[in-house]
Amino acid sequence: MAIRINPKFIDDIDRFGAEDVQLCYQCGDCSAVCPHADDTFKFPRKPMRRLQMGLERKIETSLEPWLCYYCGQCSDQCPREADPGETMMSLRRWLISRYDFTGIARQFFKSRATEILAIIGIALLTLIYLYYFSFSKGNIHIYDGKGAFLPSPFIHEFDLSVGLVLLVFLAINAFRMWYFTMIKGIKVHVPWWLYIKHILTFPWHFFTQKRYAECESKRNTKIFMPWIIHLGLMLGYVIMLVLVMVFIEDLQYGPEIKWQAHIFGYLASIGLIIGTIYFINLRLSKTAYVQFKKSHSTDWVFVVLLFFIVLTGVAQHIFHRTGLIEYANISYVIHLMCVVPWLLRMPVSKWAHLVYRPLAMYFAAIQRDAYKKHEVQSNSFSISVK
Amino acid sequence: MRTGVFFCQVEEGKNININAIAKYAANLPGVETVQILGTKPRLDAKVLHDLIKANNLNRIVIAGDMPGYYKPVFTKAMALAGCNTDEVRLASFQEHGASGEIAMDRAKATIACANMAVPFSLVAVASGNPVNNATLVIGAGIAGIQASLEIANADKHVYLVEQTGTIGGHMAMFDKTFPTLDCAACILTPKMVAVGQHDKIHLLTNSRVTEVSGNPGSYRVKIHQRARRIDVESCVACDLCAEVCPVNVESEFDSKISYRKAVYIPFPQAVPNAYLIDGESCTYVLSEGKKCGVCVKKCLKECIHLDESDKDIDIEVGNIIIATGYELLDVGKIEEYGYGKYPNVLTSLEFERLTNASGSTGGKIVTKTKRLNKRTKQEEWVFMPDGLPPRSVAIIHCVGSRNKKYNSYCSRVCCMYSLKFAHLIKEKIPNVNVYEFYIDMRAFGKGYEEFAERIKHEGTYVVRGHTTSVDMVNEQLIVRGEDIINDKLVETKVDMVVLAVGLVPAPGNENLSRILGITRDIDGWFSEMDYNGNPTITERGGIYVAGVCQSPKDIPDTVAQASAVAAGVLGSIASGIGIGNLSSVTLSEIEARSKTVHTL
Repeated sequence: MAIRINPKFIDDIDRFGAEDVQLCYQCGDCSAVCPHADDTFKFPRKPMRRLQMGLERKIETSLEPWLCYYCGQCSDQCPREADPGETMMSLRRWLISRYDFTGIARQFFKSRATEILAIIGIALLTLIYLYYFSFSKGNIHIYDGKGAFLPSPFIHEFDLSVGLVLLVFLAINAFRMWYFTMIKGIKVHVPWWLYIKHILTFPWHFFTQKRYAECESKRNTKIFMPWIIHLGLMLGYVIMLVLVMVFIEDLQYGPEIKWQAHIFGYLASIGLIIGTIYFINLRLSKTAYVQFKKSHSTDWVFVVLLFFIVLTGVAQHIFHRTGLIEYANISYVIHLMCVVPWLLRMPVSKWAHLVYRPLAMYFAAIQRDAYKKHEVQSNSFSISVK
Repeated sequence: MRTGVFFCQVEEGKNININAIAKYAANLPGVETVQILGTKPRLDAKVLHDLIKANNLNRIVIAGDMPGYYKPVFTKAMALAGCNTDEVRLASFQEHGASGEIAMDRAKATIACANMAVPFSLVAVASGNPVNNATLVIGAGIAGIQASLEIANADKHVYLVEQTGTIGGHMAMFDKTFPTLDCAACILTPKMVAVGQHDKIHLLTNSRVTEVSGNPGSYRVKIHQRARRIDVESCVACDLCAEVCPVNVESEFDSKISYRKAVYIPFPQAVPNAYLIDGESCTYVLSEGKKCGVCVKKCLKECIHLDESDKDIDIEVGNIIIATGYELLDVGKIEEYGYGKYPNVLTSLEFERLTNASGSTGGKIVTKTKRLNKRTKQEEWVFMPDGLPPRSVAIIHCVGSRNKKYNSYCSRVCCMYSLKFAHLIKEKIPNVNVYEFYIDMRAFGKGYEEFAERIKHEGTYVVRGHTTSVDMVNEQLIVRGEDIINDKLVETKVDMVVLAVGLVPAPGNENLSRILGITRDIDGWFSEMDYNGNPTITERGGIYVAGVCQSPKDIPDTVAQASAVAAGVLGSIASGIGIGNLSSVTLSEIEARSKTVHTL
């Protein structure tokens, strides 16, 4: 099979954040220091080399970028200051744009203006939609029930329809990921039962982010902090998503909200508030961890938009409980104006790593098993230590 | 010619006003456009091509601190525009000493020369001064020895100043030289003896240059000679004094892997072949004559004078040769390799002394043994002649070299001496595994590539892939790295790790550059006048550089450069006229001369 080379590839990746790939002189320090690199998946040196050589296809079909949790040790130790950690991050951005069949992700990653304009546009469209189909019917002094400003069954339907769009897009993208990595990207035969054997890998990595913790455990400074916060943020987000998508009527109906909804709602909010503030602070301070030194515009949009959503959601709840119904309704409208672009943006943005990462762990486990069957023992002098 | 002047990466502030230079450049003949592109610009050949087309340029002058960095993109742009790519000229401020008071004039002069397509070093020649016949050589390593011998053999007087107790420098510490595997001492010691016995060479060991005044051709130099406290003439190096000396100090000559006494001779072949007393550790000197003094009673020749004091010597010389050499990078600050933490992680110089037949183990390569230090009551790791030989050794290249955090430059000698180590280990220990972890094998000299091939055929594992760390697991050193060619991550168990540590300028260089009034480059090496055309002379007239103090180089190159320096010095003495200070050359002189050269 002919190997295609895209000489412009490295310039293309430059726009996704990896600016210093050309500095790399292939010493292999990064791969050796990486807590996650193993003999099947060696990174970051290999993806860096592929980038330098313009092997676009090889990167498109590889899982390596998803196996990196960006602990930053490689960037710390790189003798050339080529920033391999940031390169892996940029490759993840690029892969998101490749999995996305619409090409929107690519535009968003490459142009900050496009992304922000799109978000504002969708927010305004949401406002117009709500104005014509909801505001006119309800009373701003009523929060829920009969004659409500934003009646919960209506919101529920609205949520579900947006969620459906999101799900379809995401499913297609995930399918593309599977096709790239498991069909085009693997040279050995993969027996079907391996998919069943490793099926639990997906939920395991989804809910524990074990590899993130492993990443952190190798660092000496402030052990486990980003991992715990990140996990809290993710779990809070997932709980909130489920609450909003499925139990919105329970959540909104007042004054007696079901205690389950209450507890989960509060827990999720705490996770989200702490998480967003923590990561915004890290990105602002730039010094604590090497992985937060460089922030792509999409990273900022991600945390800031999420922060606004949480803020307006919490404000709406407080206003509702304290009886300031008008303010609660206005907060609600702003909340929805943030939520809709956020949800629609999901499959084409950084957010998608929520799905791609555990999926990549799952595929990687399958690939490892598949390769093991075909592995030829070579007479290397290396002695592994246990 | 239609010239475009482009300013890239100019450090403002240091007496350089870029706008004023740009104004000057715009008025030069043939200059069509002047563009200031800012610090660290990201240039696009397409955009530059458009600029070239728009102004119809056929010559480019890139001006700045490091213009060479941007040459490729401009060359590309010129090629795109269909112009002669040879017409991309560089005006390097930093390289041509644009700093201090003369910064502005010098920067302008480099641009004027580049615009005329005349090499700067060709036109910037200072008028000569009458020259004193004596020469001062600072540093008595192989470079200083070679230069001194060449000049003294031409019957001219040489003062050779050395800060340690013996001449020989780093080369005296080595066991073998690459790639011929000649014994280093066999090459060096005859030269050392010749220096010691030469009528025309005035040897000043234990001394430092403290003050230099005067003009090119007639420098007055003040030398501070620390008290040796032993009479060089009458000492016969019988070792009786050292036998009774109660003080133990780490031996500098042995890279601190063994001990010496406070009265010592660095090594048996030292020149001058006499003992000396280390004033910083001798009990008698430290207690100001109240304690000890046993060596005086023991000395049969009565040559020990413990109360001798330091003295200052004034000399007058015409030329000065700097040959101060290097030291190893402080590898303790690279924590990943565990130097200082794990006993059997050695620097290259430590290994060099270990394998040297005159070293503490008699040339046997062994691992360190734990022993109780009776004086301090602490356990310590030392090399003993009956220690266990290592079963496997890892040699790590590029430690601190080619690394933006430490030395961004290549130290040039490490690849080759590492290969030499591999050979020595293989030669001395049967069935040993030697691993060379390298990034790029820089075997650049005559016979070097063949030497590298030979080492590979001897069964050394030459692994492409720099290692990231050395760890200790269950008393076993583990070297982690990636074997790039075999596409494997490797964790290698070894008994000894040798770090091929990069070279850094000798610690006294900074002070010396101030005393002599010469410049150093960004890494601390002395700046030569012109890297290609005049690699031995400095901007200051009559001051020359030789050996590693100018840039890292191996022994053959050092010797060659030392001889070249001697030729320059002898030339100036023979003609009676030396080179003046470059800083005295004015901008108008350079402009006028560049025009004459141009019309020729």
